[in-house]
Amino acid sequence: MVREFELPDVGEGVAEGELLRWRVAPGDSVSEDQPVAEVETDKAVVDVPSPVDGVVEELRAAEGETVPVGDVIIVFRVEGEAEPDGTETPADDATADSGYQTDDEAPTQPVEDTQSEPAVTQRVQVAAPPSVRRLARELGVDISSIADSSPGRITESDVRAYANTDSHSSTQAQSNQRTAAAERQKQQATSTQSVSPVQARKTADRETTVAVPKTRHVAAEEGVDLDNVPTDERKDGEPFVTLEAVREYAKAQQQAQKKDQEAVAERAAADEPARPESRTPYNGIRQTIGAAMTESKYTAPHVTHQDEVDVTALVDARSTLKQAAEEHDIRLTYMPFVMKACAAALQENPQVNASLDEANEEIVEKEYYNIGVATATDAGLLVPVVEHVDAKGLLEVASETNEKTQRARERSLSPEEMRGGTFTISNIGGIGGEYGTPIINQPESAILALGEIKKKPRVVEADGEETIEPRHVMTLSLSFDHRVLDGADAARFTNSIQKYLRNPNLLLLE
Amino acid sequence: MVVGDVTTSTDVLVIGAGPGGYVAAIRAAQLDLDITLVEKGAYGGACLNRGCIPSKALLNGSELASEAGQAEELGIYADPTVALDEMMSWKDGIVDQLTSGIEQLCTAAGVNLLKGTAEFAAENKIRIVHQGEGQGSESLKFDHCVIATGSRPIEIPGFDFDDERIVSSDGALNFETVPDELVIVGAGYIGMELATVYSRLGSDVSVIETLEQALPGYQEDIASIVRQRAARLGVDFHFGYTADSWAESDGKAVLTAVPADEAAHDSDIELTADRILVAVGRRPVTDTLGIEAAGIETDAQGFIPTDSRCRTNKEHIFAVGDVAGEPMLAHKGSKEGEVAAEVIAGEPAAVDYRALPAAVFTDPEIGTVGLTEDEAANEGITPVTGEFQFQVSGRALTANRTEGFVRIVAAKETERVMGAQIVGPEASELIAEIAAMIEMGAKLQDIGSTVHTHPTLSEAVMEAAQNARGKAIHRQN
Repeated sequence: MVREFELPDVGEGVAEGELLRWRVAPGDSVSEDQPVAEVETDKAVVDVPSPVDGVVEELRAAEGETVPVGDVIIVFRVEGEAEPDGTETPADDATADSGYQTDDEAPTQPVEDTQSEPAVTQRVQVAAPPSVRRLARELGVDISSIADSSPGRITESDVRAYANTDSHSSTQAQSNQRTAAAERQKQQATSTQSVSPVQARKTADRETTVAVPKTRHVAAEEGVDLDNVPTDERKDGEPFVTLEAVREYAKAQQQAQKKDQEAVAERAAADEPARPESRTPYNGIRQTIGAAMTESKYTAPHVTHQDEVDVTALVDARSTLKQAAEEHDIRLTYMPFVMKACAAALQENPQVNASLDEANEEIVEKEYYNIGVATATDAGLLVPVVEHVDAKGLLEVASETNEKTQRARERSLSPEEMRGGTFTISNIGGIGGEYGTPIINQPESAILALGEIKKKPRVVEADGEETIEPRHVMTLSLSFDHRVLDGADAARFTNSIQKYLRNPNLLLLE
Repeated sequence: MVVGDVTTSTDVLVIGAGPGGYVAAIRAAQLDLDITLVEKGAYGGACLNRGCIPSKALLNGSELASEAGQAEELGIYADPTVALDEMMSWKDGIVDQLTSGIEQLCTAAGVNLLKGTAEFAAENKIRIVHQGEGQGSESLKFDHCVIATGSRPIEIPGFDFDDERIVSSDGALNFETVPDELVIVGAGYIGMELATVYSRLGSDVSVIETLEQALPGYQEDIASIVRQRAARLGVDFHFGYTADSWAESDGKAVLTAVPADEAAHDSDIELTADRILVAVGRRPVTDTLGIEAAGIETDAQGFIPTDSRCRTNKEHIFAVGDVAGEPMLAHKGSKEGEVAAEVIAGEPAAVDYRALPAAVFTDPEIGTVGLTEDEAANEGITPVTGEFQFQVSGRALTANRTEGFVRIVAAKETERVMGAQIVGPEASELIAEIAAMIEMGAKLQDIGSTVHTHPTLSEAVMEAAQNARGKAIHRQN
């Protein structure tokens, strides 16, 4: 029995997912709950488990394809049950034997196939020029399956594009064809070994040479100058070169060239030590981050406004409150303070809490304050979102942030929990560094990077007297989308943040 | 010449040097395969020696004579005298030129040529009997074999070919004198072409056909144009009769034909003839080949079934051309020859043409390709057709050849060109454009929007395509 399996809703309310990688191929046996595919939705990667014990019959989606939830992605044949008539397994003898199928006929069943009705119908309905049909055979592509998806005239690029997504068929074609040609090459390789390189170097360098057209043709093809081919024969008083002589000379030349190349390669190998490199696939979350960053950086004109803030008071406040928080089993970092400060500053500068709706040519100002916290994980950057930071108390923000960043590191965050942010904070300072130029998390309009809190000598004015004192200083790097905001907006917004961070008591009023 | 039996070997053995075989051999040589071509007769096969080429030479020669004698309308008064022996020598010269050209092409490409008759000894071994008494034979081992033995004319009971009274098309292409009375059995394309030749040259030609139509297999409106023109040239048609027997009487042959269907005709007819041409079809040459020894299967008619890569039931043995089945067309055999050679060389070749053009060199000519309206409908395609009559073609008028039309068949929904039937002047040349269009997957508009030279017959193709879309300029749509 054949069982079709649809892409399940792998996240809450997810509409589609990108099929990152198949873990099985047609013909593989699978057991229930065995992962068959990796599917990525937004930033979560999910293993899709097999619903049955069986054999993979067909993969209906290609790697890299975005599949709507509910579409059939894989077909299983359930073991122990009869195969329905007309269903062929992918390893069917006819296909394996020929290496490829022509667009209208299966080679091993000559008579029936050339005359059968469906074959003829297909013949007249697939519109592709002969050169394209030939290309399809060379790449091992069944041209009628392209026709299914694009009913118009099929072009060379259609076939190439299809061959690239359908890598299975092309490898199969390569491995199955060219038997005779390969044999021939092998024979040539063996026979050339008898030609000594010395003999090969020997060139005649005459001024004229007589040869029949076929010989000249072969010489041109092999890139041989007929005047260089050694010969003792003469015709009409002129040196005469035979086809065999040309072939032999060409082989010898090739052999010599190959030897030279090998020698050069050997020398090169001896001179330069092999560079230790390792390659890892660029896919999954890494690729998603890359795409998002590229999109953002090349869409939004980024400007980064940088400033510092004296957070000595904040350091004191945090060390005082840390004890109290621990009684609630909550680890209190600086992040919740910054988040509350940002929420307050966003309320004062609503144009920053906005996004650009290009399609409708509108700027959308949001009246909710959801703050994303950029979190480094083993797989790459993830941004869990804490919603309604303005309405939550410091401890509540702390607790929720801790919990979400932890789950981001464990990759157990749902896609929903990474959506809906209005502003993002990236704490690079936790690792080190002062200023940065963060890239905006679209569709938001700004992102704040925090530098490390360091003690620095700063001028302090107290009672009209200026002294230099060691102070706790934090740097702020605010990248903003210059389409939505101007430098003055960013400066004002940064000033607001500074105000709250310099004097965290003000947060009590929030 | 080697006497006795020696065994050598070759990568690829091709049997028969006709349009299928020599093309396979040259392509195989181009692909660097060690290739041996065996031919018992002349290079070029039936096409060059006993078919396409000599018949076209005679058609052209006879047309020239006939046209010159009937051009009073143009102010030309002539009564050409035809010396048939000289026309035949001219024709033989062309054949010689082409056949020796093929031999040279093969040699230059590096094909080993062997003269003799091939007979399979085993799956990988063939015996070649050299021509002539005491010339011996040799055996050849091969890795791959391409059978391209072609076809020969069918004989009917009571009418054994004797090259005197009863001739096949082979004989009719080599008459020394124009027969006063020529009876042709069979109104297929061979019979109709030779009826054209000899009626133009002055023979009284009668054609007997079992079916009720000339050129069975062609659409009635096409066949009837050719039949009417032949009738005007003086050809008598006897439809619904089957040649039964013949006898000598008063220095002539008298042929008796009986009604094919007694309900339609009530009595026999007798026709006197100097020559009787039997042209009822051709059958594949597989009987002398010893193919049982190689285990190759044939179908009921003796054809060797092949797949799209020209392979027989034996993986390493291929069959191309007439011997591999209908349609028996030289260009089909050549295409298959190329494919077979490329497949042997490991290339992903296949016979995948969308449409096979065919031409009949009657007066006027017929050119067809792809599907007719009915065939399209049978394949589940709703057809749309467009036509253009040569009567309104400026070029046809200036050539004084205005019979016939161009008809293009397309799928109504997609307007993709599916086929064409042309009857009229140069139909055999005009059909090539539409064959290319079908291969390219063209739509009616692709033909209609292509600028065609004025004044040429090809404008009729453009107008027919436009007519199918209701957009022809020089006719009502």
